Amino acid sequence: MSLTDLRDELTDRLGRDGVITDPAHLRTYECDALTGYRVVPALVALPRDAGEVAAAVTACARHKVPFVARGAGTGLSGGALPVADGVVISMQRLRRVVEVDPVDRRATVEPGVTNLDISRAAAKYGLYYSPDPSSQQVCTIGGNVAENSGGAHCLKYGFTVNHILAVDVVLPDGSTTRLGGDAPHQAGFDLLGAFVGTEGTLGIVSSVVVRLLHTPATVRTLVANFDSTKDAGDAVTAVIAAGIVPAAIEMMDNLAIQAVNAAVDAGFDPDTAAALIVELDGPADEVEARFADLTRLCAKATEVTIARDAEHRAKIWQGRKAAFAAVGRLSPNYFVQDGVVPRTRLGEALTRIAEMGDAAGIRVANVFHAGDGNLHPLVLYSEERGEHERAEALSSAIAELCVELGGSLSGEHGIGTDKACSMPRMFSEDDLATMLRLRAAFDPEGLCNPGKVFPTPRLCGERPGPYRPHPLEAAGVIERL
Amino acid sequence: MRPTSLAELRDAVRDTRGTLLVKGAGTAEGWAGAPDPTDHMLETTGLAGVVTYNPADMTVAVRAGTPLSALQQELAAAGQRISLDPARTDATVGGLIATADSGPLRHAYGGPRDLLIGVTVVLADGTVARSGGHVIKNVAGYDLGKLFCGSFGTLGVIAEVVLRVHPLPPASRTVSIPCDAAEAVAHTGRVLEARLEPAALEWCDGELLARYEGLESSVELRAAATPGGATLSATEADAAWRRVAAVPDHELVVRCGTRPSQLPAVAKHAASMTSSTAVGVHTLAVADVEGLRAEFPQVTLMAGEGVPAWGEPHAAVPLMRAVKQRFDPEGRLGPGRYKPWF
Repeated sequence: MSLTDLRDELTDRLGRDGVITDPAHLRTYECDALTGYRVVPALVALPRDAGEVAAAVTACARHKVPFVARGAGTGLSGGALPVADGVVISMQRLRRVVEVDPVDRRATVEPGVTNLDISRAAAKYGLYYSPDPSSQQVCTIGGNVAENSGGAHCLKYGFTVNHILAVDVVLPDGSTTRLGGDAPHQAGFDLLGAFVGTEGTLGIVSSVVVRLLHTPATVRTLVANFDSTKDAGDAVTAVIAAGIVPAAIEMMDNLAIQAVNAAVDAGFDPDTAAALIVELDGPADEVEARFADLTRLCAKATEVTIARDAEHRAKIWQGRKAAFAAVGRLSPNYFVQDGVVPRTRLGEALTRIAEMGDAAGIRVANVFHAGDGNLHPLVLYSEERGEHERAEALSSAIAELCVELGGSLSGEHGIGTDKACSMPRMFSEDDLATMLRLRAAFDPEGLCNPGKVFPTPRLCGERPGPYRPHPLEAAGVIERL
Repeated sequence: MRPTSLAELRDAVRDTRGTLLVKGAGTAEGWAGAPDPTDHMLETTGLAGVVTYNPADMTVAVRAGTPLSALQQELAAAGQRISLDPARTDATVGGLIATADSGPLRHAYGGPRDLLIGVTVVLADGTVARSGGHVIKNVAGYDLGKLFCGSFGTLGVIAEVVLRVHPLPPASRTVSIPCDAAEAVAHTGRVLEARLEPAALEWCDGELLARYEGLESSVELRAAATPGGATLSATEADAAWRRVAAVPDHELVVRCGTRPSQLPAVAKHAASMTSSTAVGVHTLAVADVEGLRAEFPQVTLMAGEGVPAWGEPHAAVPLMRAVKQRFDPEGRLGPGRYKPWF
């Protein structure tokens, strides 16, 4: 391979302003929102349309140079971390909303369009795009497809994969294909479903068709304070047991609330041990009756505040969605984890995390999607005080604890670079090898975002951690053989 | 061969040579292409029963040969269900995934792929692989379960699955709006715009059916608020939904996906049909499959002897071949199902 030849070819196809070669400028692409990992790419390509994306990939394939697609760079797992001597293909110039179709309730957009801009474009028809990651003002739909992004409201409405009808994909050899179609019924394997969430390792999305939903008739939101995270967790269990499927149930512990209050005036009680945000939406009668039940089920709450109006509700959500960034005010540095536990083991997980934090002498703030057991422990530490390694070890241990409790390493942030070495804790060699068969079918040369998702000797040392039996397996409830 | 455990299944696949046809309850034998004669038949019905079920987690792990009806019965005892209502209620859970089958509830809940959160499969070489897990929200690793949706037994044998469950609705009401296909599109728009949140919205042979699920007081009000409709009695509603489920009982039947607004154009091809009008998924009895395919390529054959199962290869067929090649390089599994694509 020759990077000089590739640079010339890319410049020829994309123009001088379509390729970044200046070292200082290249450095701005060295990491995504997981800033602990940094690699400066050899080149950055800035295609303007799907044709130029295909041209850029074709050039990389011809020169056998690895490439990494990048949206807004908000990913929290190092999925858009560049490869040394590789190319970053940025989607930032592909930001057209091509079509909003109110009759068939769908929108066709380029991958660089932000999540929130889709809903903005659909709003005049009373429609919106449902998945709502907290970074939705800046994160791109292409990145959402790569990560199968969730958000607070996916408890009722599902994840990105449940809302994508079709994607155009530039495959790693530079050819373009379409996965999905006009309706969820496809003639053939569900390649679209298999593709969403593969973290940019199977190809680059150059166009996305999303489903749009009608905004719900009624939305009711409450904030309930509790004396302990356990009481709050019990309330969540009671709500689910009552057969209520809320649009969202979020929990924040005291440390997270303090951080949010310092950043946003969202009105959370600074003295409460834990707060739940519960939202119901849907037809008015259904919501009102269920909301009455909900209020009753929060009997142990020390205080329940019901959002007065849309503005008040927006404030509450602004506070919740600002939590990650707000934690920066409490601590110079922090890691965000994203493990999932079966919801009934939330209490146990929180207790264990608190104990592990105490043992390490490191504070952990918790803000999470309680309805589906998706934790977001924020591990607070100081680089200056030399706590990096201890905090990182604690952070990994928390993710692996989630697997031990019968859950997952990641609910929505992805495996990326960050958790690739932990994958053998959750999957056997055969599991991972089978996933790699899918990768090889799409990318036989291994050029598309290499080194992500799967453990590699380079990333994890010669011997990534051994497979450990799943606890359900050890208990004899599931079989592996 | 009729293995009764994952180990037996693995051995059955690994220790035999030659081609294999995977069979569940045999309710979809007419779907996809007619299989070539195979050296072995592998029945999954011995792999039956729930593995783990904790109602409070809203998930259930079940062996793939379990009939959906049996699973639903077990879940109902805990006030829950799988929100999947295919016409083939006796089909196995694994079979429903392999055929990507669904019923009217697809309107609100999608298909098997949207409810499937974990899968254990046995590949043609005897490799046992698992993906996903026991939690609803999970992005760790590739989602092999979705890949196996619509695989018709050609990529591997589905051994065990983990599914998302939902609460059983306390009450339901069905509203009927007699209308033709073009009017059905307009009515669908009106019901959605009224934000009445139906669980199913199905146009079947001249009648749009809206089913509401939820609290008693709420479904009654929503049914009454449905523009242009009349609320059916429980008996009438049962009969109406039975008519929907009976549409596949014809000699030549296909499922077809289109833009929802193309319903009238699809209906022109149908002798009898039922359509999820907001989703654009139609099940129809046709006379001329090729005529339908010429206009709407996303067609899967559900019944029809001697009829070509698949049309012109679509854009993703080369990728399907590449995946098949990696998962089953010797072509052991389900030969003929995807003829002429591979």
